[in-house]
This record gives sequence, C-alpha cells and structure tokens, in this order.
Amino acid sequence: MSSLIPLAVVVPLLTATLIALAGKWMPDLLADLGGVAVAVVAAVLAAIVLYRVGNGISTYWFGGWKVPPGSFPIGIGWAVDRMGAAFALLVLVLLAAALLYSWRYMQEERYLYVVLMLAFGAAMAAFAMSGDIFNMFVFFELMSVAAFALTAYKVEEAGPLQGSFNFAVVNTIGAFLVVFGIALLYGRTGALNLAAIGERLTNDGRHDGLVVAAFALITCGFLVKAAMVPFHFWLADAHATAPAPACVLFSGVMVEVGIFAVARIYWTVFAGVLGEFQGPTRGVLLGVGAVAAILGAVMCGMQRHLKRLLAYSTIAHAGCFLIGVALLTPDGLAGTAMYVLSHGLAKGALFLVAGVLLVTRGSVDELLLFGAGRRLRVAAVAWFVSALALASPPFLGTFTGHALIEDAASVQGYWWVPVVLAVATIGSTAAIIRAGLRVFLGFGDRDDPLLSEQPGESPPPQERPRVGLMVGITLALAVCGLATGALTGLAAKAMEAAHVFTDHTSYEHVVLDQRGAAPPPPGEWVTTTESVVWAIVTLLGSIALGFASTIRDRLPESVTGGIGRALAPLRAAHSGHVGDYVAWLTLGTAVIGGLFAVTIR
Amino acid sequence: VSELPYLLAVWIFVVGLYGIVSSKNLIHITVCVSVCQSATYVLLLAIGYRNQGTAPVYADIPTNRKVVDPVVQSLTLTDIVVAVAISALLLALALRAFGHKGSLDPNELAEMQG
Repeated sequence: MSSLIPLAVVVPLLTATLIALAGKWMPDLLADLGGVAVAVVAAVLAAIVLYRVGNGISTYWFGGWKVPPGSFPIGIGWAVDRMGAAFALLVLVLLAAALLYSWRYMQEERYLYVVLMLAFGAAMAAFAMSGDIFNMFVFFELMSVAAFALTAYKVEEAGPLQGSFNFAVVNTIGAFLVVFGIALLYGRTGALNLAAIGERLTNDGRHDGLVVAAFALITCGFLVKAAMVPFHFWLADAHATAPAPACVLFSGVMVEVGIFAVARIYWTVFAGVLGEFQGPTRGVLLGVGAVAAILGAVMCGMQRHLKRLLAYSTIAHAGCFLIGVALLTPDGLAGTAMYVLSHGLAKGALFLVAGVLLVTRGSVDELLLFGAGRRLRVAAVAWFVSALALASPPFLGTFTGHALIEDAASVQGYWWVPVVLAVATIGSTAAIIRAGLRVFLGFGDRDDPLLSEQPGESPPPQERPRVGLMVGITLALAVCGLATGALTGLAAKAMEAAHVFTDHTSYEHVVLDQRGAAPPPPGEWVTTTESVVWAIVTLLGSIALGFASTIRDRLPESVTGGIGRALAPLRAAHSGHVGDYVAWLTLGTAVIGGLFAVTIR
Repeated sequence: VSELPYLLAVWIFVVGLYGIVSSKNLIHITVCVSVCQSATYVLLLAIGYRNQGTAPVYADIPTNRKVVDPVVQSLTLTDIVVAVAISALLLALALRAFGHKGSLDPNELAEMQG
C-alpha cells in the first residue's frame, strides 16, 4: 500500500518531463491525449490511496529511510490522512477536467501548456500528502512557479504580463516568509519532519518570541497564497489574465492550498506548544478571514470583467474557508473541507463558462456581452447551476460546508460568523447572477454606473473549437458542485477525517512511533433549523440582490455617485502596481504578527 | 554565535522590500526579489553555524572534527535553485513587457485596476 502513495505524484511529474523533452517532435494530439490520460490515471491512484487510508494515517519514507520507533526521523517522509488524500484527489480531478477542456483551447506551444499543468497539479497533490516542512516548501515553490508561467501563457498580450509579474513577486515574498519561519523552527528543534518539530516544541514547552515569530511568519506566508486581505491583491490580477482552464485550478485548489497549509502546520507543529493560546489564535485568524470575506464580496459587485469578478468571489469564499479553519475545531475544519469541495467544482465550471464565452463570443466583458449568450443555452444552465451551488441553497451545493461552520461557530459563541458567511455569499453570488442575467438572458440595463472598466482579452486563435466538449465538461462540473451538498454521508466522513487531521498527538505517534492512529469518533451530521434558515436567507438574498443589481442604472445619480465615491478608495487600493502590493503585504505581516506577539505570551 | 547574522538577515530582507516598494523598473524589482531571498540564505547559514566549525566534508578531515550543520547548507542550495527559476521567469516577463510597452516602468504595466 504505502509504495503506492507517491505514484499519484510521480506519474504526472515524469510524464511532464517526458513531454517537455520530446514535445517538439510530438504531434499536439499526443501531448493532449497523454496529459488527459495521465491526469486520469493519477486521479485513480489518489482515489485508491484515499480508499486505502481509511480512518488512519499512512506514512511513506523516501529512499527507505524509515525510522525505528522513537528515534529521530532523518529521512523525508510523507504522512497521508484522509483529508490530504481527498484534497489530492480533488486537485487531480480538476486537473483532468481542465486538460480535457483545453483540448483545442491552446494553440501555441501546446505541449508546454500540458507540461505546466501536469507539474502544477502534481505539486499541489504532493503538498497535500507531505509530512516534512521543507518538502512542503519545495512543492509549494514548484506549484507557484508553474502557476506564474501559466498566468503568463499568452505573452502576446500585456494583461497576462501584469498578472503574472504581480503574482510572482507577491507570492515569492510570501514564500520567503515561510522559509524564515522554517529556519527558526529548525534552529529551535533541529528537525524538519512535522511530527518531530511538533514533538520537540511540545516537550520544550517554551512559547517564547522565536516560536511566536515562526508561527506568525509561516501563517502569513501561506495566507499570501490563500489571498487573505491585505495579501489578496495579486489574485484578481492573476485570475483575470490566466487562461480559463488554468483558473479552474487557481480558484478551485491553489488558493485552498494556502488554507490547507495553515491548518496542517498549526495542528501538527504548533497545536501542542501553543495549545493554551487557542483563544487569541482563533480571534486573529477569524478576524482576517472575516475581512477577506466581506471585502471580496464588495469588490465583486463592481466588476464587469467576468474572470476578475469570479476572482473576487474566490477571495470572499476563501475568507469563509479560513473562518472554518480558524474555529480550531474538527467540525469547523470539516465544514471548510466540504465547502472547498463544492466551491472548487462550481467555481471551476464558472471559469470554464467564461472560457466558452471568450472562444465563441470573443469577450469576457459583462456589458459588451449583453444578451450575446442567448443561444449558448447549455453554458447558461451551467452558469446558473454553479451560481445556485455557491448560494448555499438548503441541502445543495455549499450548504453542508456552511452549516458545519455555522454550527461549530455557535458552539464557540461566535454569533457573527453566520452573518459574515451570509454577507460574503450573497454579495459574491449576486454579482454572478447579475452577470449571468445580462449575458445569457439580456435582462436588465445595458449600462451600469458602478462597474469598473478593464482592458479586454483577445480570444485564443481557434481552428475548430470543440464547444460541445467544453460545454459538456462545464455542465458536469457544475452539477457535481451542486450535488456534493446533498451527500450527507460525505459530511459525516469529512467530520471523521477532520478529527484525524486535528489530532496532534495521534499524528505524532503514527509518524514517529509507528503506532496506529486513534480511531476518530463516528461522524454524525445533523441539520439544525438555524442552518436551513440561513441557507434560505442566502439563497433568496442572492437572487434578489442579483436581479436588483441589473437595474442599478435606474437609481438616481446622487445615490450611485455616493456609492461610487465611498468605494473609490477601495478601488484605488487595487492599483495593479506590484510595489503597492508588497507594501500592503509588509503592513499585513506586521499587523498580524504584532497581534500574535501581543496576544500569545 | 553572535546575534549579528540574524540582524543582518532582517536588514537585508527589509532593504529588499524597500527596493521593491519604491522601484520604477521591472528589472530592478527582480534584483530586489533576489536581495530578499539572500536574507533567507544568511539566516539559514547562521542557524547552522558552529563556532570553530569547518565545512562538513569528511573526505580530508578527522571524523571527530567539529563541523557546521550540513542540513541548512542543502536547504540553502535548494533555496538558490528556486531563486534561479523565479529570477529567470521575472526577467523573461520584464523583457516581454518592454517589447509591449517600450518601457520597464511597472506603472505602465498596471492596466488592470480596481
């Protein structure tokens, strides 16, 4: 079993290398076919690992550097639990869908696109399964560099250059923060294995400046990838300019890698030594998540560039993901896991619809496309089904995730969490519905005083676009996203997986002493009346606000002008200038680090 | 080990950040990112340093000789590899940006806003 674990990563990485070497002499069809086939094979391997892992944790030591129980781990080890394997599976499934969709989407140097996508997906899957902090960093960088290159794929245009440059600089600085944190932890413990660092920090028991600094640096570094405010600026630029199929992975899993990393590092490394400071840790992270959730929703309402609109919607949802993790309870984490699953599928479908619009209608601008999508009926259905999935309707889509997070929050006494989730959901989904109504139904006004103008994107040169195939995959993803909310059995499994994930001592025992993991209590998911009420509120609120936003032009000028002036500073902050973004990053790190330093002592 | 290397690492990082924030040139930004990364090398090597330690190559020294920590050195090496990839990518982007705009000013590149 354990020798199977790295295969889900090795197979796509090796294939990527082969295609990179031989691609020049390879017919494009072979590269396309190879890419899709390998992604499917890797997904099947990840599914087998997920199935076999069950409720335990499986370890794999590279080069056979397995440690005798109780001694110091010298080798590099992976430790796969159900949560990690499930995340890897989601990555690889989305990768397969995106590669199938891009069958004829890319024209120039297509084999290199396949290489980048395979390396990108494989690195994220590896990140989710790794149990070694420096190994995680290396895969983090591999996935980052692949993502930077994918963003700049269409170098003939200026937009992708801006998106990629800002993305690369901001995320690289974030990665340096992580390295700083890793170096501090290594200096204190002499270990790089997550379990070993955690054990030594706990035994040492000191929670001095060094430990708090390491915690703050690693958390902030990964929150850059998770696009939390004020680290989020790169995301809108990168998502708006990257090819639509790459955006499926960007929004669906890459941003979530940041959240996953914060959760993984907290529970394996810091949960022991900072165990008595759960209160302040929770408070700071909840605050960060709430700000991102609301800011993303507000910015969403001002975008006419469809991919940029979806990017801000991702920021809003990512804020909610962090809220689920920040509650620091298994149920909150299970909520985030279910939420990520539904969101990844639905948001992926929305980006793919944007890609279909670009190919068939030559634009991704809401107002330019007014009524232009009337004949794209299946794409329209996919768009609205995905919007519905994201609106958290009762027992569908993101509902299970929302309900679990809300219940976990009310247990902790955070009454405002459901309100923030509702605001983020209504704001971001209303914008998606508004855009859909204008583009696919020609409903509402042709002009909107609140939307900000963006430079256009030229469609990829296409010989014979396979619109049927593209739309089919899109609809399949959308329906899957909607259906995941209905699988209550899955929610129970997620709760068990979250218990394993958050069990600090059990992880240590499995990795260092090769003892079996303590079995989690059986997960049982009960729907509360409150969560159904909140779901109805978000659903109706999204639809009402979505319809209302299409006729904003009819508001008196004094009102729209006032809103425009109130939001002007927010718009100005998203300046597209990388220097400003790094200044915000520095400020954010100082504030979050300062809050940790003040509250944890 | 004195505290000087740690302060130096922070100093280099802050200098690099200042360079990026105030920069008017994409190639200058790329160099500043490398400066920031150098701070991580200094920190890693400082953490692995032992007083009177020598290079951890046992081919020509007695095995009981005090050496510095080889793990951080390999981490630094990995870090450098990452830096090369990122610098190459950023320079390629800067070159393309110059081709489009005839300028390396990041303000010229910032078309997408708000």
